[in-house]
Amino acid sequence: MPSVEVNHISKTFGSVRAVDDVSFVVNPGEIFGLLGPNGAGKTTTIRVLLDIFKPDAGSVSILGGAMTEAKKNLIGYLPEERGLYQDISLDRCLTYLASLKGLNPGEAHQRIGEYLERFDLASVRQKKVKELSKGMQQKAQLIVALVHQPDLIIIDEPFASLDPINTQMVKDLLLEQRSRGATILMSTHQMHQVEELADRFVLIDHGQAMLYGELETIRRDYSSNDLLVRATTPLPPLPGVIRTEPHNGAVKLSLAPEVSPQEILGMLVARGICVEQFEIAMPTLDEIFIRVVQGRKEDKA
Amino acid sequence: MSKFWRVFSHEYARHVLRKRFIFALVSMPLFISVIMAISIFSAVTQTNFSPIGYIDHSGFLANPIYPPETQGMLERTVKLIAYPDEASARQALEANKIQAYYVLATDYLETARADLVFVKEPDNEVQNQFITFLTTNILTNQPAAVRDRIASGNSITIQSLDGSQRMSESDWFNILVPILSGVLFFIVILTSGGYLLQAVVEEKENRTIEIVVTSVSPGQLMAGKIAGNISVGLTQLLVWILFLLVGILIGRNTIDWVQRIQIQPSYLVLMALTLLPTFVMIAALMAAIGSMVTEMREAQQISGLFTLPVMIPYWFTAAIMTNPNGPLAIGLSYFPLTAPVTLVLRAGFTQIPTGQLVINLLVLAAAAVVSVWLAARTFHMGMLNYGKRLSWRQVFGKSTPTL
Repeated sequence: MPSVEVNHISKTFGSVRAVDDVSFVVNPGEIFGLLGPNGAGKTTTIRVLLDIFKPDAGSVSILGGAMTEAKKNLIGYLPEERGLYQDISLDRCLTYLASLKGLNPGEAHQRIGEYLERFDLASVRQKKVKELSKGMQQKAQLIVALVHQPDLIIIDEPFASLDPINTQMVKDLLLEQRSRGATILMSTHQMHQVEELADRFVLIDHGQAMLYGELETIRRDYSSNDLLVRATTPLPPLPGVIRTEPHNGAVKLSLAPEVSPQEILGMLVARGICVEQFEIAMPTLDEIFIRVVQGRKEDKA
Repeated sequence: MSKFWRVFSHEYARHVLRKRFIFALVSMPLFISVIMAISIFSAVTQTNFSPIGYIDHSGFLANPIYPPETQGMLERTVKLIAYPDEASARQALEANKIQAYYVLATDYLETARADLVFVKEPDNEVQNQFITFLTTNILTNQPAAVRDRIASGNSITIQSLDGSQRMSESDWFNILVPILSGVLFFIVILTSGGYLLQAVVEEKENRTIEIVVTSVSPGQLMAGKIAGNISVGLTQLLVWILFLLVGILIGRNTIDWVQRIQIQPSYLVLMALTLLPTFVMIAALMAAIGSMVTEMREAQQISGLFTLPVMIPYWFTAAIMTNPNGPLAIGLSYFPLTAPVTLVLRAGFTQIPTGQLVINLLVLAAAAVVSVWLAARTFHMGMLNYGKRLSWRQVFGKSTPTL
């Protein structure tokens, strides 16, 4: 049974079609990426699947059916528009929000204490939220999303305005949650973050799903006949190579369609070149995204 | 504990446990006590209780009966000194031994002529004491009942046919009861309404609303918020009533008119029946405003549209007092926003016809239900409208909420 099943949902606000016939499935225990540029319809999609908005068309199944009050306790949510009660102490704020997820005060107090220690916030737990730095508040919001050990975690732009140390901490935390068995739906416009973490993804642009599937399969589908080669000496001209260009300390070779990578490797070995790196040049998600969006524009034109 | 109670206790505790709230709670009765103390102090210190002299040419005060001497804080007996002639009295006046003297003519018992000589005219209270002294001595030979009756003077009491309403000259302070009840009512309703307004706008302003609505149903959330903030208002009301009762208990022993304060149980029942739907109506309207707007300042401006009409009956207090069953009073009782204070004022001065009262309370209850519906609708439509105010057309238009 999928954790989330979105079937052909559409949502319009006035004259703007924010989501247009989007479908995808999130499997239990995976990290799933919901990708797209700003304004693509990611947040609207999340709000539809969390039952904040009703879709104009299509249906959503979450943890095996429609959203219920009981299921809200099984879901952790870090919204893009983040916020906490500013005028009360961090401890009270977190305890209240945890209690709304069904934790009793004792449980909430204990788990919040553990997270505060881990996030280095224990010393400020009695301070008013408004007295905390932005980074501290961001970490506190993450505690709200995770404290009740949800089965499904939905996080919208988790790395926004985080420094590199905290970004790494969030990544580690997400991987830890996955190994605990939680399903994670991560929405972001930062494609490279998804490359590191997600197993599968859907890419949305202008409310429509442009790409959907396993990360590696899609990258392979979009890879061209290019190689990345790093050698101890400069590469000589090779037959079958149309173009060469430097690429992050290596050389990117564009091959003619009838030439295979094995033939090139054979030529390099035959010429006694010491090869340090030899790989098929897979496109990054950013490159794939640009190609998809440009292709769409050309189709429209 | 259900999530309703969690929201309720959070909303209640976040106000009641604040220093600001406790300060406001205690400062109001303290402020009134200080004002009263200053008024009493200034009244006492401004009245001159130094002796009064008199010269009795008529001779009927040969064996005078002086009033018993009292030296209370508010009521003190002025010492009366008899002088044989005007020269000695004038001398005493000039020497500041007395503040004034009366000269009773030889035919005083026939003409009741008495001249008062003073440098600064004595206060009414002082003059009344001398008049009482004269009356007592004139009536010396009369039976005690006649003497007391004449001394007490006229006392007109107006009473409603069923005896539930009563007003007399000596019960003047009972007029204040409905007026002060209305003021108390107004302050408490607006305070809890204001708290609710703040609670809803704050969640939009600080963006917590999205986390909250994915944890608890909007219905439970709004119900918990409204009940929590109404309870804050009721706490305030109860504490103030407690202060008032303590004040009355203390005042009973020292201030005469406090002993005669009368509050009918039926009046308290009417207050309760009016208070509850009004609380819900104002609270729901505040929640609706909070959901519509994006900032607290804007919310406060719009809330004035609903809170000012609550005060309107005070502009017509005199008209409502003189004609509590007139068209104006009845009209204001039918309009939900002006009904609460009007009903409380009217009930203090008249017996509101039962049929009218039932309709008024039903209208108030219906208004409360409509307000809750409006609050829920506005909340659904406006909760995620960050930085964008809902238009009146959107709120009252045909379109259904997005949720």
